[in-house]
Amino acid sequence: MDFQRIFYIMLSNSAPIILCVLGGNYAHIAGVLNISLEGMMLIGAFASVLFVSVTGSLLKGALIGIIITLVFGLIFAFMCITQKGNPIIIGLAINLLAFSITPFILKVMNTSNLNVNNIVDVAGLKINIPLIQDIPFIGQIVSGHPLVTYVSFIGIFIMWTIMHKTKFGIYVRVVGENEDAAYSVGINVNKIKYIAILIGAFCSALAGINLALEKMALFTNGMTAGIGFIALAAIFCGSGRPGLSSLYAILFGLAQSLAVNLNISAGPVSGLFKTLPYFVIVIILSVASIIQNKNNRMRGFKNE
Amino acid sequence: MRKGKMLLLDILNSLLPLLSAFGIGAIIIILIGENPLTTYNIMFGKTLFEWNGFLKTLHFASPLILTGLAIAITFKASIFNMGVEGQLLVGGFFACVIGFCFEGLNPVVHVIFGLLTGITCGMIFALIPAILKAYFKVNEIVVTLMLNYAAIEILRILTQTIYRDIGSGYVSTPTVAGSIMFNRIGGTRLTLFFPITIIVFVIMYIVFKKSRLGYEVTAVGKNPEFAEASGMNIKRKIIYIMLISGALSGLAGAGYMFSEKFKYTLDFSGNPGLGWDGMLIALLGRCSPIGIIIAAIFYSSLKTGGDSINIFTNVPKEIVSVIQGLTILFLSIRFINQNTKLFGNIMARFDSKKKKNEEV
Repeated sequence: MDFQRIFYIMLSNSAPIILCVLGGNYAHIAGVLNISLEGMMLIGAFASVLFVSVTGSLLKGALIGIIITLVFGLIFAFMCITQKGNPIIIGLAINLLAFSITPFILKVMNTSNLNVNNIVDVAGLKINIPLIQDIPFIGQIVSGHPLVTYVSFIGIFIMWTIMHKTKFGIYVRVVGENEDAAYSVGINVNKIKYIAILIGAFCSALAGINLALEKMALFTNGMTAGIGFIALAAIFCGSGRPGLSSLYAILFGLAQSLAVNLNISAGPVSGLFKTLPYFVIVIILSVASIIQNKNNRMRGFKNE
Repeated sequence: MRKGKMLLLDILNSLLPLLSAFGIGAIIIILIGENPLTTYNIMFGKTLFEWNGFLKTLHFASPLILTGLAIAITFKASIFNMGVEGQLLVGGFFACVIGFCFEGLNPVVHVIFGLLTGITCGMIFALIPAILKAYFKVNEIVVTLMLNYAAIEILRILTQTIYRDIGSGYVSTPTVAGSIMFNRIGGTRLTLFFPITIIVFVIMYIVFKKSRLGYEVTAVGKNPEFAEASGMNIKRKIIYIMLISGALSGLAGAGYMFSEKFKYTLDFSGNPGLGWDGMLIALLGRCSPIGIIIAAIFYSSLKTGGDSINIFTNVPKEIVSVIQGLTILFLSIRFINQNTKLFGNIMARFDSKKKKNEEV
């Protein structure tokens, strides 16, 4: 067992989950159930890789990827808030669209996956932090990740600050707590919700860029493989606290990393380990939910 | 009058999103340099307006009717069972195992055994999120979605290792025994599966329109707090609903296995799977029984037609799933409601005309 490698992959795998968690948190707190994180991440990954290959520039491609994902976020927000549609169904539709448009475009382009290895140098994108990389054991775990991975971990603090120390954060929480009260004190509820959803889209786009562009310089069909839903579960488990939710995200990253590493050492049934993260989520979600409801003496059954 | 107006509203609310989705689909087809009219013509011409093609459409509509029902009944109770796909796969897989493990059984016994296995497996797989939801208030959407992924992975491993058919060139299970295969009726594509589906459909219709359970499910969906205050056991209702939903999904998987696929391959339910198609059908049919049948037949023609466009034009058949996604997106909002001006004006004119006629 190579612990260094396990922990390195854990950090590397947690980054997209953390980004989705941080972004999705705002919508969750504002009272919008956004299950389209998965689809938005796929769109972000696809668009960024596609436009890197079209424009030949890493930065331009990433920017266009973010913009296209924001457009999908706007569609979600418009349908959900302005038109008052059911967010679950809209989220599903966006996921479905993402998972059908990407293979459609790939088919039209006559390829099975998009490879931009000749433009993006994956090894060159890894940043080694001076000083820290020299610390024994930890240095090789913490250092040597691409930029967005660092951004995701720094993002935990940024998002916590925005949520708890700024006016906007308070507004988001008020809107989630009681929409009518927020209206009555003159908060533009729809605007707050729009921004919350767009933050989610932005972070999902970053997660997609991290997943496809930075780590592999490659896009394959359905490469997000449920990470968006894992993030959703982390948000539910952490009940809206960025720090706690991110901790769960790292835990899921560990489960994934264990699955990858056990895969190598175990025999033909190694595939079973791939199911590990999914079962871990179900178990953690149940335990968190049991703890939350343990002291609940309220009568009645609320269907949320 | 009021009832008629509501029905008209429902029909328009299903048709307009469909038209918009096809409109955007047409724009996409133009963008890749193909003619949308010929594409749509090929898609529907063969599947709806030719007798044999229509029977084929009905054949492929059978699992869709079942998954549509499975989702519609959970929608009625405001529960979101996103695991229909996983339940269908599990049901289909284990029905297939029964199919090839026993040889030389009496066909009737074998078929009933196989179908029951599918149903039971679907129910067991649906029971996990049901119990978590009812007793521990765990969000059922996340759990069912996660279990889908887990089911796909586990079935993949089973197909690759224990149940792998060594003789076949690709990853699949052995073919089911002849005694369990549904024969085609009179040279058409229809099999026993379609009548079974219709029988199940009628039973479900009666249960949900005429029985106490159906009434209580609707009550739970409308207002769970009131339902509990008036003495209904909501936890048990949730478990019943999920079990029925899982049974329908399992039956869909088993029937699809015995009537069409005959062995489990990794793309057994297609992409997006039959479970997700059921979601579209439930929404398109506005969760009403007749609506589900019409939507399932329509969607099945879209899907079977998708195969022909791949042969006759350069449009990839993924366009069908794109249109599906767009349709669900547009179906999520009500294009027109009771307060819409335009519609109200037309109705008012219609009313006044009728009144005049009556006066005359």
